[in-house]
Amino acid sequence: GDDDEDLSDSEDSVYSGLEDSGSDSEEREEGSHDDDDDEDDDDEDDDIRNTVGNIPMEWYKDFPHIGYDLDGKKIYKPIRNKDELDDFLDKMENPDYWRTVHDKQTESDIVLSDEQVELVKRLQRGQFGDVSFNEYQPSVEFFSNEVMLHPVTNRPADKRSFIPSLTEKEKVSKLVHAIKMGWIKPRRVEDDSRGRYYDLWATEDSSILAQHKMHLPAPKIPLPGHQESYNPPPEYLFTDEERALWEQQDPSDRKLPFVPKKFSSLRQVPAFPRFIHERFERCLDLYLCPRQRKMRVNVNPEDLIPKLPKPKDLQPFPTTQSLVYRGHSGLVRSISVSPSGQWLASGSDDGSVRFWEVCSSRCVKTVQVGGAVKSIAWNPNPSVCLLAVALDSVVLIVSPSLADKQVISASERLLAGQQEEEPSEGAGPVWSETEGEELSQGIRLKIQHPKAVHQVAWHAKGDYLASVMPDHSSNLQVFIHQLSRRRSQNPFRKNKGLVQCVSFHPVRPYFFVATQRSVRIYNLVKQEMTKKLQANSKWISSMAVHPGGDHVICGSYDCRLSWFDLDLSTKPYKMLRHHKKAVRGVAYHRSYPLFASASDDGSVIVCHGTVYNDLLQNPLIVPVKVLRGHVITHDLGVLDVTFHPTQPWIFSSGADATIRLFT
Amino acid sequence: MSQLQARFFTENQRYVVDDVPFSIPATSAVQDLSNVINKLLEAKNASHSKVEFDFLVRGQFLRTSLSAHIETEGISTEEVVEIEYVERITAPEPEECIMHDDWISSVHADAEWILTGSYDKTARIWSVEGKAVMTVAGHTDVVKDVAWVKRDGLTALLLTASLDQTVLLWEWNSERNKVKARHCCRGHTGSVDTVCADPTGSKFCSGSWDKMLKIWSAVPTDEADEVEEPADRPRKKLKTQQLGLTRTPLMTLSGHNEAVSSVLWSDSEEVCSASWDHTIRLWDAETGTMKTTLTGSKVFNCISYSPLCRRLASGSSDRHIRLWDPRTKDGSLVLLSLTSHTGWVTAVKWAPSHEHQLVSGSLDNLVKLWDTRSSKAPLYDLAAHEDKVLIGCFGGADNKLYTYRYSACQTDAGA
Repeated sequence: GDDDEDLSDSEDSVYSGLEDSGSDSEEREEGSHDDDDDEDDDDEDDDIRNTVGNIPMEWYKDFPHIGYDLDGKKIYKPIRNKDELDDFLDKMENPDYWRTVHDKQTESDIVLSDEQVELVKRLQRGQFGDVSFNEYQPSVEFFSNEVMLHPVTNRPADKRSFIPSLTEKEKVSKLVHAIKMGWIKPRRVEDDSRGRYYDLWATEDSSILAQHKMHLPAPKIPLPGHQESYNPPPEYLFTDEERALWEQQDPSDRKLPFVPKKFSSLRQVPAFPRFIHERFERCLDLYLCPRQRKMRVNVNPEDLIPKLPKPKDLQPFPTTQSLVYRGHSGLVRSISVSPSGQWLASGSDDGSVRFWEVCSSRCVKTVQVGGAVKSIAWNPNPSVCLLAVALDSVVLIVSPSLADKQVISASERLLAGQQEEEPSEGAGPVWSETEGEELSQGIRLKIQHPKAVHQVAWHAKGDYLASVMPDHSSNLQVFIHQLSRRRSQNPFRKNKGLVQCVSFHPVRPYFFVATQRSVRIYNLVKQEMTKKLQANSKWISSMAVHPGGDHVICGSYDCRLSWFDLDLSTKPYKMLRHHKKAVRGVAYHRSYPLFASASDDGSVIVCHGTVYNDLLQNPLIVPVKVLRGHVITHDLGVLDVTFHPTQPWIFSSGADATIRLFT
Repeated sequence: MSQLQARFFTENQRYVVDDVPFSIPATSAVQDLSNVINKLLEAKNASHSKVEFDFLVRGQFLRTSLSAHIETEGISTEEVVEIEYVERITAPEPEECIMHDDWISSVHADAEWILTGSYDKTARIWSVEGKAVMTVAGHTDVVKDVAWVKRDGLTALLLTASLDQTVLLWEWNSERNKVKARHCCRGHTGSVDTVCADPTGSKFCSGSWDKMLKIWSAVPTDEADEVEEPADRPRKKLKTQQLGLTRTPLMTLSGHNEAVSSVLWSDSEEVCSASWDHTIRLWDAETGTMKTTLTGSKVFNCISYSPLCRRLASGSSDRHIRLWDPRTKDGSLVLLSLTSHTGWVTAVKWAPSHEHQLVSGSLDNLVKLWDTRSSKAPLYDLAAHEDKVLIGCFGGADNKLYTYRYSACQTDAGA
């Protein structure tokens, strides 16, 4: 009966919810106290037993009886006449006082026997009441990992072990509700990364760390390949010949230090016989290997390409072919535009010089000069209208009379200058005036040279004219003529190489002479060489000087175009290799930041070339357009190229006897 | 969308149909619509003969199917689509082919006579039937531009501008067929590329390669203006070459940075000039001050002004024809670009009687007839020329298109 009560009590405490657990524990204490009393009653069985049960005894306070016995007769209260003094005396004198217990239900004093006292003591010590109960008896492990032949119980599992427990569900739903309502906060997962690990080197000196920055990692063992696999693909296995070869070779000569073998599974792989040997070699490697620090720079290759603006943003530049000037019957070697931009002159191998109206492609004039025209140059001075034509060994000065009357009269005055009597140097050029047919065509002066003239170039003022007679073996390659005084002179005393072309500086008294592999710049006032530009090309074909005078471009027969910045270096600032074949002509635009090169591959490449006044900023060179149109004839494409003086237009003359205007 | 509600209307009273919406298939093209209108007109008037029509939806010519057009123009198909129809302009036929010995540099036509300037240093007068009437010879160089000044009965005044830096004012008597040089206008220092007389015929303006515009009096007098001759100029030579009395300009308008390529009078007090310096400038002819500058991006070859729609059309070296409003103050606002040519546009001219039509000539050997209401493509390509078209002009009154050609075979024979 006691056990049942205990059980029910404990069940109560389990089922009595979470809130009032405190009050529950109090009740339990009271209950246990009552139990002690009951035990006392049970032990004295012969005594009268009160049957009122566990009720407050003060209910019977006013009655003479205290309850009812088993037979239903009243149990009368014993006559208690003990006062405090008696009690005290009893306590002092009665040796059994300490084991006397007052029973409230019977109002009687009970003296506990020795066994009962012992039991109470045992219970107070928390031991079992039954003395014979051995709490340390060896336990029998019924439910162990040992599989028993016969199970302890054959009872089938309860149904409740299969169905979800309603009470658990109720509890869980309570918890879930509490969490939802925010009454219970789920336990926060603590971030234990901080403070959990101890930074061993936190207090380390930074100089030691700096030493470690120079740490050189050991060379890595190459990762195993297919040969090292326990089950390599068949092509990695040795054939008989390979194996024979491997066995013949000296161990140091072998390509592989082992023979690839095939196993059906990893379990069958034997122990590696050379393990110690291999470790030893690895240690030797680490010990003996030369260590050097490799500076590895992580640069995106895209970043190394300079950022060039889009050609679209660099307009205007010529883009389409607009006009074709047809009329010549031989290849057109040279073209030149008048300073006003109204007329175009062209010299051809058919022995004629033609004058074209630029805007309508109308040939307004044809001058028969009687020889293949090598070079043609319009006088850059806008106040005169003259043209220099080089053919064979003659330079002709032509007055095309395609200008205002005042301009024509100014050019007449320039031509009327008298020849100064000078001691002739023997091989010097001979000036002569033309007559008759030639005069009526507009040819005014003839300068007879000792050798074939290849190029003529005007000074910007329009009075001086340079002519080039390439010759390997003579110092007589360049003449500078003065038109107003009809005087010629050879500025060079020594032969410095085959002169290809010459040019005057647009503003300063400098003279550019392009020989086969270099460009020399002479100061005409001081009569000395100021600079020598090394073109990294085999054979210079043409040269043009920037209108600012600080930049030079050279085209060469080995397909290159080199841009020299005279302030920067004597080496080319930029080499452009856009052409497939020899570059024949180069030109700068007078006002727009454009330059162009013409090549034997039939194309003209127009490039944008901005030049900055700031010495720190290098020129910006962007190829913007490839212009095609000329037909390649006899392996010759475009022979000359020149810009319109005011518009972003370009003229090109080709071996197909046409001149084309691109706008 | 298979059917569309459309209402047809026209301004031509001859072809009016009832003003009721019709349901027409959305896929119908111009020809289908034209048939519909013809059916309607036949039902109304039995004697109606078939006419080809063109259709405008919100001021744009219909060139594709109706549904495609409506989709590209973003017109709602919920409402009734208003479609205007006009009689279709038939393709201009080359009526006459006037053969010149040399390149034609310029042409100017009035109601009866056509004046042409040529690279053979002469100007010629032709009748509209194509008969050569008169050859005006006198220039020592290529004639670059010609213009009629005015005609009083049988005598007419005409101008020729030449590469020899002069403009000659001629008087032509059509009855006796005699031409007399009245004045030789000197003052330009470059080739005179363009000349234009003002609407009243009392003044004219010339533009030259020397970047100047000069305004001259066009009234013939019997006195020569005093010319300050440079001291060193050989007087004798000048005298012998003189043709007509010397005339000096009333006014010089300078401001262009490059050659003047085209000049015209937009009204009697305003001169408009186009230049190679990428600008069109408007000048006050009274005071000689510049009023407005319209800036383009390419060289202007030619301009034309229509008093009907008050627009300037310009042809430039980048293949486009552009329309400008000359009254805008800040300029540089292109109203419309017409792009179809593949070469420089060398000539552009508004139709004198039609506010939407213009012709253009280009170095790609084509003359194109445009309608500004159909800006995507020209109305017609006139491909009669075998070489570069240098200039084109409308006939004065009858709206026929005369084109002049220089054919390669001709020069070979003639020159």
